Formats: sequence, structure tokens, C-alpha cells
Amino acid sequence: MSTPEVLKAALYAAEGTAAVPDHPSLKGGRCQCGYVFFPLQTYGCEVCGRTGDALQPVALSGRGTLIASARVHIHANRAPAAKPGAKPPEVKPHEAPFTIGSIKLEDGPTVRTLLVDIDDRTLAPGQKMVAKLVSVGTGDKAIVDLRFTAAT
Amino acid sequence: MAKILKDLRPVYVVGVGWHRYQPLSDTPYVMLGLPAIRQALADAAIAWPDVESSYIGTGLLGMAAGRAMLKHLGATGRPLVHIENASASGSAAFRHACIEVAAGIADVSLAVGVDKPGIVQRAFTKTGIGNLADDAIVPFTHFALLTNEYADKHGVKPQDVALVAVKNHRNGALNPNAHRQQARSLEEILGGKPVSGTLTALQCCPVGEGAAAVIVASEDAIKRLGIDPGRAIRVTASAASSEGAGAHATADAAITKDTIADALKQASVAPTNVDVLELHDAFTVEELHYVEAMGVCKPGQAIHLLKEGAFDIGGQMAVSPSGGLIAMGHPIGPTGVGQIGEITLQLRGDAGPRQHKGAKVGLAHMVGLGAVCYVHVLERP
Ligand SMILES: [Zn+2]
Repeated sequence: MSTPEVLKAALYAAEGTAAVPDHPSLKGGRCQCGYVFFPLQTYGCEVCGRTGDALQPVALSGRGTLIASARVHIHANRAPAAKPGAKPPEVKPHEAPFTIGSIKLEDGPTVRTLLVDIDDRTLAPGQKMVAKLVSVGTGDKAIVDLRFTAAT
Repeated sequence: MAKILKDLRPVYVVGVGWHRYQPLSDTPYVMLGLPAIRQALADAAIAWPDVESSYIGTGLLGMAAGRAMLKHLGATGRPLVHIENASASGSAAFRHACIEVAAGIADVSLAVGVDKPGIVQRAFTKTGIGNLADDAIVPFTHFALLTNEYADKHGVKPQDVALVAVKNHRNGALNPNAHRQQARSLEEILGGKPVSGTLTALQCCPVGEGAAAVIVASEDAIKRLGIDPGRAIRVTASAASSEGAGAHATADAAITKDTIADALKQASVAPTNVDVLELHDAFTVEELHYVEAMGVCKPGQAIHLLKEGAFDIGGQMAVSPSGGLIAMGHPIGPTGVGQIGEITLQLRGDAGPRQHKGAKVGLAHMVGLGAVCYVHVLERP
């Protein structure tokens, strides 16, 4: 079986970090001033304004702590954004209900995304969370996207 | 050194007007804005040619909405400018009208907010920087997450947070300009359509159409135009800010804290001396965040004061007597201008059944996507 394509390759990779090799890593950045951010960008540091080589890529581990979660009951589906002229990727749309989590990564930044394989009734802030890739493709190609789930 | 509003010449609100906030209708925006402006002119007892500049707060109408509306008031050739600052567009329009008059560039300025619901692509989706799932996280989910965090941190129940909506619907039921004019029980609010997390539909503001207008003037203009000084309400502080880096989830509360503190310092007013507060309560939990950020009480304590009736009309401090965004509504451009109008009515003693007795000091607060924050203090001279 071929390796599935990741939906947002600019944001995460299937490979983990040395500290957390078993979960996908997130592509963040670190500034010379010490600020760690997600996602990586080179426009300029949001704290000090440095640019260029002052901003370096850093792999953030896919491990963190849940700050908050919300079960979303209403969602207006819009087609996934595509670059002008490009065909949108063939992936499942978000369909309510789904659960969004706010996760403070152990490497610093806070991210918000969809949670999977969790029990909404018992999920509470403070829960340890890990990143995982889930299948989202609807066409011929196998496509995976990043989610978070409760650490076991 | 840079100056604050109070260092410049005094600025007064002399006229206020509205077009009711309401669900989207066939009424063109021009016919939302014009009645609000005409009402504000009549309230000030001045004529359109007396107005020297116009600031138009609008987020959703598209380019150059102002002249197409203002031209129906008659030709004066006076300058106008549009201000878009997300939810705070109207607050920003008001601030810059005040600054122009305070600086002496104009004697009389108009701040008008007008909007109709429409699809406008948010610029942060066009920065070229990706995101994990922002297409799945709309504002009500942002605030549902903050509700979950607040409830967990302070041991507050969802049915307690919903009490904010009970109070604000009760106030809105007394306001003929409110989008929602019906008192609601806690059961009705909790039993409504689930939206996100523990938020139900009646804990989220309605975004409809409408308009609000405010005329500000200098002391010179008040004398020259024969405006009743007894109905003029002084603007004693204007503060504005934007979010810092590394945005924590409660960035709105963080900038609110700093910006309200700045405004109260400018006006030399203590938080507990504010009689009437109009807040950006687009979602119930925000009212709790912001009264705490203001320093009215300690973090986690707002719910106790709310339950005691401290924030009711007639309580310790009337919070969102207009009905707030939850009941008065949040048509975007008009919202921040309408808050100033409500506070003006309250400080004049003209708020009818919504009157908070003896109101002398009012504070208006808005946040907008970005995040940006605006705070104004108004005082009865
Ligand atoms: Zn930096």
C-alpha cells in the first residue's frame, strides 16, 4: 500500500519528533528572541519583528494538554478552499456534530482543531492529548489530515 | 508627548438616533441609515449643513457606501470616511469623530453605523499562512471553547452562564430599537437550539440589519447652534488597542482589561463608579469575562453578582441596559455607535422603562476580530 498523502503538508508531518516519535509532529517556528509559534511563517516574528534567518523551522511534538473543548452542533458546509484554477482536494467536508479542542502543545503554542475518538461526556480540560492522522479522502487517492485525541 | 482626549478641547454627544436592529429585510441600507441620522439631527436640533464631517462604520456593505446614503440629506460637500474594524467598526467611527472635534479640525461630526448581513471574506483567510481547521471554528465555537474553559476554571455551571441572556433579553424587551424584544426564561434559553458547546441560540447575538447615529460637538458649536447644553453628554475618555503576540485563548479579555484600565485612568474614574456599562456580549460568557477584566470583581465572581441582581437596571451597575448584543443585536457597523446612544439616553435620564436611576458615568466597550478593543467613557457634566 502506498503512503497516504497529507492534506496540509505545510502544517504537519507523519514523522514524530525525537521526544514523541509515535505521533505526527507539527511544523512550527522559533525566533531568535525565543518565541515559538505555529504554523511556521517567515513574514516576521509576531513578538520582535525579526525576519529572515532569525526565524527557523522547529518540529513541535504532537503532544499537549486540553484547555477546552466544544461539541459543535451547527455547521454551514463550504467547499474546501483551493488555489485559483486548482481542483479542490477530494476530502470529506466537516459535518456537524463534531468536536473542536483547544490544545496547549507541550512545546509552547496553542492550537485548535478537530478531536476524534473521544467521549464528549467525560472529556475535560487538563486531559493529555496527542496528534493523529485520520483518513479524509473521498476519491481514489488516500489522504490523511491531522486531528487530536485523548492520550491513553 | 502624546495627548489623551481630555487634554484636548471638550467633546459632547449632542444627538442620537437609530433604525431598529432587525432581521434581514428588503429595506435598502440607505433607508436604514437615513432615518437614524435624521433622528440624531432632530435630537440635537441642528440641520445637516451644520455637520462638518462624517465617519461611517460599516463592515459588510462593500466599498463606498457612505456618499450614496448621505447625498439624500442634501449637498454640503463635506468630507466623509468609512471605517471598517470588524465588530468594532462603529466604535472606531465614534472615536475618530470625537478626535476630530477635540482636535479642533471640526466643530460638529457625525458617527453613523449601518449594515446589512452579507458575505465578506475575512482577510485572515488570505494571508497565505495555513491553519489546521479554521473553517470549522466560527466565532460561536471560539466562545464555546472560552465558556468551557471559564466554567472548568471557576466551577460555574452552564445554566449560570445562561443567566446573562435572561437579564439581557429582559432589558431588550424594553427597548424599541432592539432586534430581540422578548423576555426569556432560563428554561427557554437553555432549552433552545444547541449551537456549540453549552451555548444555545439565545446565548448568541443575532446579526441582522440596522443603523445607529451619534452627533458629537464642541462647546463652541453648542453655543453657536443653540444646542441645549443640559442634554449634552461629555466624552471623557477614548482608548483603543490591539492584541499582542502569542495570543492566549482569552485575548479578548486581556485587551479588554488593559483598554478599560486606560480609559478609566484617562477619565479618573474607578471601575465601581461606573453606573451604566454597555459591553460586547456577543456570547453570554463574554459579559462575565469583561466585568471581571474591568475590575468590578475578582475572576470567577461575576456570576455571584449577576445572581444577586447587581448588574440589573437599578442594581449596583446596569450592565447592557440596551439588551446588549444578545438582545439589542449586533448588526456590526451600528453596534458600537448604538452603545454610545444608549449611554447618552441613560445619562440624560431619557431611557424610559430602561432607566438606571441617577446614572452619571457610562462606559462603552467593544472588541472586534483581530482582535481590537475600544472603550469610551461618557459623563453627565
Ligand atoms: Zn522574535
